[in-house]
Amino acid sequence: MKLYDYILSPSCYKVRLLAALLGIPLELRAVDFHPGGEHRTPALLALNPAGSIPILEDDDLRLTESAAMLVYLASLKSSDWLGRDTAAEAARTEQWLSFAQRLTASLGGARLCEMLLRPGDLAALQAAGIAALRELEAALVEQRLRGERFLVADRPTIADIACFPYVALAPDGSVSLDPYPSIRLWLRAVRALPGFIEMPGIHRLHELKPEPVHGAEGEPA
Amino acid sequence: MPSTDAAPLTPLALSEDLPPATVMPIWTPEGPMALWRSVGGTLSLAADRCPHRGMRLSHGFVRGEALSCIYHGWSYDQGGRCLRIPAHPDLEPPASIRVATGSVLEAGGVIWRARADDPSLPPDFPGFVPLRSLSFAVSRDVISRTLGGESAGPGILKGTLAGSAVILLCAEQAEGTSLIHLLAPADATLDQRIAVSRAAETLRRAAETGTTEAAA
Ligand SMILES: N[C@H](CCC(=O)N[C@@H](CS)C(=O)NCC(=O)O)C(=O)O
Ligand code: FES
Repeated sequence: MKLYDYILSPSCYKVRLLAALLGIPLELRAVDFHPGGEHRTPALLALNPAGSIPILEDDDLRLTESAAMLVYLASLKSSDWLGRDTAAEAARTEQWLSFAQRLTASLGGARLCEMLLRPGDLAALQAAGIAALRELEAALVEQRLRGERFLVADRPTIADIACFPYVALAPDGSVSLDPYPSIRLWLRAVRALPGFIEMPGIHRLHELKPEPVHGAEGEPA
Repeated sequence: MPSTDAAPLTPLALSEDLPPATVMPIWTPEGPMALWRSVGGTLSLAADRCPHRGMRLSHGFVRGEALSCIYHGWSYDQGGRCLRIPAHPDLEPPASIRVATGSVLEAGGVIWRARADDPSLPPDFPGFVPLRSLSFAVSRDVISRTLGGESAGPGILKGTLAGSAVILLCAEQAEGTSLIHLLAPADATLDQRIAVSRAAETLRRAAETGTTEAAA
């Protein structure tokens, strides 16, 4: 299975993260998204005319939407991650997969403005990002009242993985995560999952690693 | 609003939002602070600025009874003293390396900023339990007017949301914003708690858009 990937892309990271959590090996094909703009070259447009990454290929299946990739990986391996145990759960999972596109547009748009100096109405993108974070916080408060730590259940599903990266990287677009205690605990719960992998800007829980012994490497100096 | 002797105790956060081995950012009139709870459960409050290179300690992590900075791993004890500098494992960190700390008190599921020189205990609210904290982009006065409730002490409002009696503990934040800690009746059902949480969102929309009618 081959993923057209860019290390700083939160959408590509969703796919890498779920594959790592499920133990599915991926062949990574690095795309020179920035500064090269390789996703807009004829060769890549031939794979995805929309000119976006990630792109996932498995035999004759070719996917260009990260939500579909998450569904595919979860379906291959474990129905628990699909979030489809009941009709309501399936619908709520879909709801979050769609919501994740709002996070991409708002928080992701603000991040592109701030990091790659893309043109855009930064203030409007940040305001839309804050509105989305408030919705997420309110939903997570209700989940905690129900005794559930994740978005649609007390176990992680693709809904969590779809929403996690852009939320965790909100500060890259100068949107603060300070006002959201339930989001903070949820981000932590995702980062604590066995098999969790990092991307630049999203790190593992250091406290889960043993204290480095005398003179050992592992922590930056 | 002068914060001299009117309200020496300021509500900072809800206990449930700070489980053992976690740290959260807190704004206080003295500046940003990192509120953290050790693995053993001890609460501490430290200035949110690492003495090394200024990284926010609220971005750090708690291991055992110490708070560590995410940047270069310097760690601090509950009194703010630097315990360890990973790049110099043989060095006993000089006592002069320390972060400013503050006193906190925890009661009824709420964490309060206390003053070392003031023995007063936080107010308690029999029959109420904490529900959630949320920040409003308006001042306490606007929230009070929108709620249409009554004042029950400095920074404390009583009112009704979704048909349930509620208590709002208000802490003024930077730039005219407010942090509200919402308390609901201890005997409220799950559905009632969810309804109160949703009504708080409605209250916030009304307060922030200047709609004056109560959100009850
Ligand atoms: N196709 C959507 C969107 C993915 C997306 O936004 N990808 C970004 C990189 S993170 C992209 O390729 N943007 C094209 C561009 O900015 O030129 C998905 O898979 O979720
Ligand atoms: S800035 Fe905190 S350890 Fe370097």
